[in-house]
Amino acid sequence: MVAQNIFFGIIAAAMVVSAIKVVTTKNVVHAALYLVIVLAGVAAQFILVGAEFTGVTQVLVYIGAVIVLFLFGIMLTRARIGHEMDVDNERRWIAGLTALLLFAVMTYALLDAFDDTDIEANGALAPQATQAVSDSIFRDYLIPFEAVSFLLLAALIGAIVVARRE
Amino acid sequence: MLASLVAQAAQLPFDKPIIDFHALAPEIVLVSLMSLVLLVDVFKLEEGRRFIPPLTGIAMLASIIPLISLALDGADRSMFGGAYVVDNLALVLKAMFLLSGYVVTLLASNYLAEGDFWESEFYLMMLSSILGMVVMSSSRDLITIFVALELLSIPAYLMASWEKRNLRSNEAGLKYYLMGVFASALMLYGMSLLFGVSGSTLLTDIGAAISGGDSSTPIVTLGIVLVIVGFGFKVSAVPFHSWAPDTYEGAPTPVTAFLAVASKAAGFVALIQLVFIGFLGRADVVEPMMWVLAAASMTVGNLIALRQTNVVRLLAYSGVAQAGFMLAPFAVVGTNAEDALTAVVTYVLIYASMNLAAFAVVIAVSRKTQSGEVSSFGGLFGYAPGLAVAMTIALAALAGIPPLGGWFAKFVVFRALVAADSAAGYTLALVVAVNSVIAFYYYGMVLKAMWFSDAPDGDTSPIRVPVSLVSALTLTVAATILFGMFPGLIGHFTGNLQGLLAAAGG
Repeated sequence: MVAQNIFFGIIAAAMVVSAIKVVTTKNVVHAALYLVIVLAGVAAQFILVGAEFTGVTQVLVYIGAVIVLFLFGIMLTRARIGHEMDVDNERRWIAGLTALLLFAVMTYALLDAFDDTDIEANGALAPQATQAVSDSIFRDYLIPFEAVSFLLLAALIGAIVVARRE
Repeated sequence: MLASLVAQAAQLPFDKPIIDFHALAPEIVLVSLMSLVLLVDVFKLEEGRRFIPPLTGIAMLASIIPLISLALDGADRSMFGGAYVVDNLALVLKAMFLLSGYVVTLLASNYLAEGDFWESEFYLMMLSSILGMVVMSSSRDLITIFVALELLSIPAYLMASWEKRNLRSNEAGLKYYLMGVFASALMLYGMSLLFGVSGSTLLTDIGAAISGGDSSTPIVTLGIVLVIVGFGFKVSAVPFHSWAPDTYEGAPTPVTAFLAVASKAAGFVALIQLVFIGFLGRADVVEPMMWVLAAASMTVGNLIALRQTNVVRLLAYSGVAQAGFMLAPFAVVGTNAEDALTAVVTYVLIYASMNLAAFAVVIAVSRKTQSGEVSSFGGLFGYAPGLAVAMTIALAALAGIPPLGGWFAKFVVFRALVAADSAAGYTLALVVAVNSVIAFYYYGMVLKAMWFSDAPDGDTSPIRVPVSLVSALTLTVAATILFGMFPGLIGHFTGNLQGLLAAAGG
């Protein structure tokens, strides 16, 4: 358990540093790449607690799709890649204050609720093995699963209509 | 390798879920006919185009048939451990969504055919969105609620920007999308906190976990607040309403009608289920928050509506104010849950009919005037008396004048607030009363233009109203009048909602 805690600390520190870099760097591409470190850190944390399915999904969806989409977006919108840009604006102090306030509220609430509770190995909150995840998708969450397929269909058709050149 | 995996998988235990196909019949009919619309569009692009709007209408109406058979059967059906429930509340709401969808199809068919739009795909978007709402009506579980919300929202974001060459429509879609996903993110965070506290996604389990003994934890409060804020965006409650006027004005008008009625009602349906099943035991958190949201929405919405000169923007701000009226009963859930539930459901049903009627007239009039300004309604009674009367009925109902539908909706809200017999209930009832009076002024402004002003430019050529718009107007105006004259009718639908509260153990 101790080794896991040490690794948690190391990964979390790397995530915090990168997350700050995401919003302070002046280069959009660098920001996207720092975001990769943050998201990879989340995936690593999931694997550390034994939720391998969620960890792999995190890598596939966020690093594999979302960040790639960001980079494509940067390339296709003719932004000047590699140049330093003024991506900051006047409201940074208000934004910083809001973030700090939110951090304080959430830290207080989370510490108050979960301070040093151990999660039971077989409890409802314990990470689920991949088999249990697949079972629950096709049993308890069958309707949302089917609904998601129609959501994807609708999003696909709508995206084609919106993006299509006339 | 693969063979051994398959052999291994065959030995793993898997309990098949028990599926009640009768309970799912409305969704199955809707999904099948939606697939048919898609196939017609794919294989018969040109010749098939004129069949798609009627087919969409049939899809909505055909899905109501199993609703009737389920209503006659009368038993509450519950699946997946209570995650998907078909009871009276779900049936009434599903019928409302399908009928609203049908009316919007009628409103949209000529509008789309005559404009520069992608037509067939539009109906698919609308069917998917309605499917999301139908699923939402039965969802009693966080994941199902979230997926249903996205299924109804994402097509709606796209529909708002459907007029691709119009920058205002693009702005409408983009604003709606950005605010919508921001709201979803907040809500999802709130849901994850609630799951963390209760260890279950079922609303009944969450209700039991958070109303227990040591439940005064800040984390529960934070979770509830975030979830309600997320849906506050959806129902355009103040201070989360900033997207609504721009989106309503920029989107194609039939889409605006859809957003203002069906999409807003879906937000309320989710709130009803979350609050009355999940959060009933935490009225100490829900009540003050809802009090502030309701009072702010009514007051701010009405005050800004006073200054509007565009009918669609006016209806948008009036919609914000109406959302306030619908939120008001939530402020007394702790003391008077039963009346509050009936009041919200009644208001949502009546609001759908009267607001759709108002939008139908706006669409009909703008066919001639190409404008949404209040002044373009000048002299309407002179050259289109039918439309003027229909608009008068719709606006008078929205203002709450008896004997039209709106007065009964306001009356049940008022009754629920007063019957709660608490300081919060009485003060909010006062706010409701004052705001009902303010609303007379701006609805009256439109009425005055129609009945007493002269037509702009003296153009009094009659308006050609297509059959589909006439049927939409007839349906909605008739419903508005019937609900007002025979309030017992709606009581018949909303009379047996206590099953929901029983599920919450309240």
